[in-house]
Amino acid sequence: MTTASASTDTATPAPARPGRHPHPRRALLLLPAALFLAVALAGPWLAPHPIDAPVTATYAEAGDGALLGGDQLGRDVWSRLLDGGTALIGCAFLIGAAVTATAALLGCLAALRPRAGRVLERAADVAILLPSVLGIMLVALAWPDGGRWAVIGAAIVLGIPFAVRVIAAAAAPLAAAGYVEAALMRGESSLSITVRELLPNLRGTVAALFGLRFVEAVYIISTAAFLQIGPQPPEADWALMIRENAPGILLNPWAVLAPSAAVALLAITVNLATSAPAPRTQAVTSA
Amino acid sequence: MAALTPGAPAAGSTDPAAAGPPVPPRPRDDFARRAGRAALRAGAVLLRRILVLAALLAVVFAAVEMLPGDAATATAERGDSAAAIAARREHLGLDRPLWERFTDWMTALPTGDLGTSARGEKVADLLRDPFPNTLALAGAAFALTVAASLALGCLAAARPGRRTDRMIGHTATTAFAVPDFVLATGLVLVLSLWTGLLPAVTVADASGKPAEWTMMIMPVLALAVPQTGWNTRIVRGALADQADAAHVEAARLDGLSTTRVLLRHALPGALPVIATGIATSTGMLLGGAVVVETLFNHPGIGTVLAGAVAGRDTTLIAGCVALAGAAITLVLLAADLVRAKTVGAGR
Amino acid sequence: MYVNRRQVLMTAGGLGAATLVGCSSQSGGAPAPQTTGGTPKKGGTLRVGALGRAGAITRDPHGTQSNESDYLVLSLVFDTLTVPAGRPNTAPRLAASWESTPDLKTWRFKIAPGAAFHDGSPVTAADVVWSLRRLRGTKSGASRLPGIQAENITADGDGTVVLVSDYPNAELPLLTRLSSFILKKDTPDNALDKAPGTGPFKLDWYRNGNARLVRNEKWYGGEVLLDAVEITMFETAQAMSNAILAGQIDLASNVGPVAARIAETRKDLRVVRRADDMAMPIVMRTKDGPFADPRVREALRLVVDRDAMVKQVLSGYGTVANDVMGTGDPRYARDLPQRKRDLARAGQLLAEANFDLGKTYDLITTEDIAGLAESATLFANHAREAGIRINVVKQESGTFWDATWLKGTLYTTYWGTNDSVLFLGSKLMVGDAGQNEAQFADPAFDDAYRRAVGAADEAGRAAALVEVQKIQHERSGYLLWGMADGIDVAAAKVQNLPTLAGYGRVQLQSTWLR
Repeated sequence: MTTASASTDTATPAPARPGRHPHPRRALLLLPAALFLAVALAGPWLAPHPIDAPVTATYAEAGDGALLGGDQLGRDVWSRLLDGGTALIGCAFLIGAAVTATAALLGCLAALRPRAGRVLERAADVAILLPSVLGIMLVALAWPDGGRWAVIGAAIVLGIPFAVRVIAAAAAPLAAAGYVEAALMRGESSLSITVRELLPNLRGTVAALFGLRFVEAVYIISTAAFLQIGPQPPEADWALMIRENAPGILLNPWAVLAPSAAVALLAITVNLATSAPAPRTQAVTSA
Repeated sequence: MAALTPGAPAAGSTDPAAAGPPVPPRPRDDFARRAGRAALRAGAVLLRRILVLAALLAVVFAAVEMLPGDAATATAERGDSAAAIAARREHLGLDRPLWERFTDWMTALPTGDLGTSARGEKVADLLRDPFPNTLALAGAAFALTVAASLALGCLAAARPGRRTDRMIGHTATTAFAVPDFVLATGLVLVLSLWTGLLPAVTVADASGKPAEWTMMIMPVLALAVPQTGWNTRIVRGALADQADAAHVEAARLDGLSTTRVLLRHALPGALPVIATGIATSTGMLLGGAVVVETLFNHPGIGTVLAGAVAGRDTTLIAGCVALAGAAITLVLLAADLVRAKTVGAGR
Repeated sequence: MYVNRRQVLMTAGGLGAATLVGCSSQSGGAPAPQTTGGTPKKGGTLRVGALGRAGAITRDPHGTQSNESDYLVLSLVFDTLTVPAGRPNTAPRLAASWESTPDLKTWRFKIAPGAAFHDGSPVTAADVVWSLRRLRGTKSGASRLPGIQAENITADGDGTVVLVSDYPNAELPLLTRLSSFILKKDTPDNALDKAPGTGPFKLDWYRNGNARLVRNEKWYGGEVLLDAVEITMFETAQAMSNAILAGQIDLASNVGPVAARIAETRKDLRVVRRADDMAMPIVMRTKDGPFADPRVREALRLVVDRDAMVKQVLSGYGTVANDVMGTGDPRYARDLPQRKRDLARAGQLLAEANFDLGKTYDLITTEDIAGLAESATLFANHAREAGIRINVVKQESGTFWDATWLKGTLYTTYWGTNDSVLFLGSKLMVGDAGQNEAQFADPAFDDAYRRAVGAADEAGRAAALVEVQKIQHERSGYLLWGMADGIDVAAAKVQNLPTLAGYGRVQLQSTWLR
């Protein structure tokens, strides 16, 4: 889920097909994500117990004041679950936004200036050969005290080349359009053309790209946390919880299943929301 | 919009025509000239891929160099003196300039020599058994991904907008949103610890390979399911793009059956996009294998890499990255070929 | 990192290069092997899981074995002169007996009659001398055979080996327990992987950390019952736990408390608890800094809630300790008063010592072994209740051993050799000890130690040993809150498993399958 290749279906919605109306189904698809994010972000205030103090036996079964039982140190799984989403979502949002914004600018630049475009292409060619898991290990090791920031940095650096390609491809036809060429002839700066002429027309692509990068960031952050890069115990973090509690999965399955479900639901709901436009499906139906 | 996909060749990647529908070849073209041009193009593509791989290795080598500590301190024992560490540093050649060590390493690569690990063993020996195991795991997952995503994508595209299409769409989204380690954890719990249907971990035999093929099922599933979700969407999307193309439209108007239109007219045009998309999955499969292997105790490079990173073993890490990069390069080349065959035929 | 860094990285294996050096002479206090169900029976293959990392594989019997799986293979194929035992803590193996001169400097080991290599050739003193000198010549040789120079290892005829120590050492036979594997004389370095040993099992095949061993029909040490032992290396305890739960292995070696709790709910599995396996003390720097005042160290020892530590950090699989290292020693001082939590007294001591309660103190830890970081976190909670502010800092393993170990003012450490008070004293607490973690320099302690290890008469030694422990209990730099059990999980059919702590667990020669 690392790459921009899904752009085929998700990142192309925007250059809006004429005659499409806002769909009630679309709102329906946005709802789960909104609900889930609201609960996850409010979680820390809803947690009944402190996240770092034992309240029950290690891997205690559900019940007895601990709704989802205890974790590997006897801490309340439910409280940690409520607490563990904020940072993950925040970081994923940051990564998604940073990658999308940088890629939007660079992608347009690549479309406007073919030479810059080729340099960015090469960068992407290199990046594609480095599996993101390996990349993140390297960056986090080079910056051992970086914690979450190391992961965020790595995810941004590794994500940009792919995202730039998406924007560059979407911007290419626009860059060839008469009004943009005219602006170039007038000697306007690339930045001003990008902001004034290109980006407004790429709104849909950029929005879809953001959704995709968000889901991708969730994957990267949680995989890194699973590899114990980034958040450190005793922090409550969904991926870290899965890793820490996995040995006790038979004693208290909720300690693992609940955070697993949370990570999955986060990715699924946001993904549904961003794929909501689903343009091509209708296109084929109409035939 | 093939142009959106990463891994597209330099010339084609920002050229929307690259993935356009195949046009029947012009019959009077000189065959020899065409073959020569094709070989030249293939050579150029190959060279470019190799250069890119070399660039990656340089980046990785430099990155590992930036890590705090080095192999000499990382392999130190409790109580080693500073002098002992310095001696080991010299022995490992860590006192030589970075550039020199990198050049040595790169020039030895073509001979199959991946250098010497921090513990003084040949990296090629260390990876000889594990790497094929990782390739087998990732390869099986790759094959499953290709088959399943083509089948599901076509199935969805055959009945656009209907329930099957929607269901496949949502399932695919769900599948690719679930991280592989989450899936793996769930699979072990359900298929092994609760029901006892499958072995929970991989045990290797005297040949260094998994003792039973059933040990491969869960790791392969854990890797393939998310990637299948991803690629099903690509297949579905690429076929949808093709549905608008003139020749597909024409075939449909001719009254050909949906299946026939889909497989004979839409799919060939969609192949370049699909090939590039699936090729991109290779990196995800290899990266995911690192995580999944530790969960299943699969005897692959994942476990080697784990120790190598902890041990700051530059050459061992670079060896792993080089092999992974080479594997991905091969798949990308194959994708290049598919594209050249479908697109190049029309030039 | 790996990840677990852990676990990639990680955390997982937990046994860093550091551990084994620490373990290089361990065994346990637990006595006889586990009681058997019925008469021993010959036959069957035992499938064992042991922790290990692909990148750390060693085939050299005298190399640094950081993989438990490799150590298991080596110790079944090769023999050491002596082996860990219960009471006394050293038992004969390739050396059938030993004796010393009254000055405790010259030690003579007699080779067991009938001992032979797997290729049939008999073991001679020349083989032993060559092997011990080779061991002494490795880079950690000086710490594995301390006080014994290579030229002071000599043969006396074919059947006797003489070791001369630089100083009196009553504990010398203990030093030959764990790494003194005996190879044939002049085994070249490139033939180590197939070198014949003298042990209860012969190597059938070895590949990437996994191995199959078959019975040595002619072992001099007695009848071996198992047909074969198959060893699978596991990167993580969790994967090993899954393997034993799914019935893919018969014995999960050192698999940890969580697996034990699951196994306890199942009839087809059995838990083997080996007491005094691992010490995870907190080190307080005694030389200078905030903990130089012995009253402050005493206060910290009074602050910790030992029962809670054992219950939560060790899931109850362990015992409360009394700040004396070497709890598995047959002569461990059990009559010293058990220190208990006493916040009032702690507060009083801190006030007397003018300890600055306004400051926050860093407690540095690492995640090398399970529970270590958790113990730091929990201790910080306990200290907070006494008004001491402790901030837990987790360091990556390499950084920890490089920058904190031996230098820090407050940090966690761990030791796997716990059946000898004197061994640990010599390594960690004597003023000039190479691994003096707390920079502890106490003339009275050094004096008691010298008497304990060098006194000619047994009674004098015993009295000095009590004094060594008393001083430790009172004022050393260690806060030893408890001892973790070693925990193996086995299939119900596996009988007569070793119950010794530490590496005593590798002695599978008399194990059998029902």
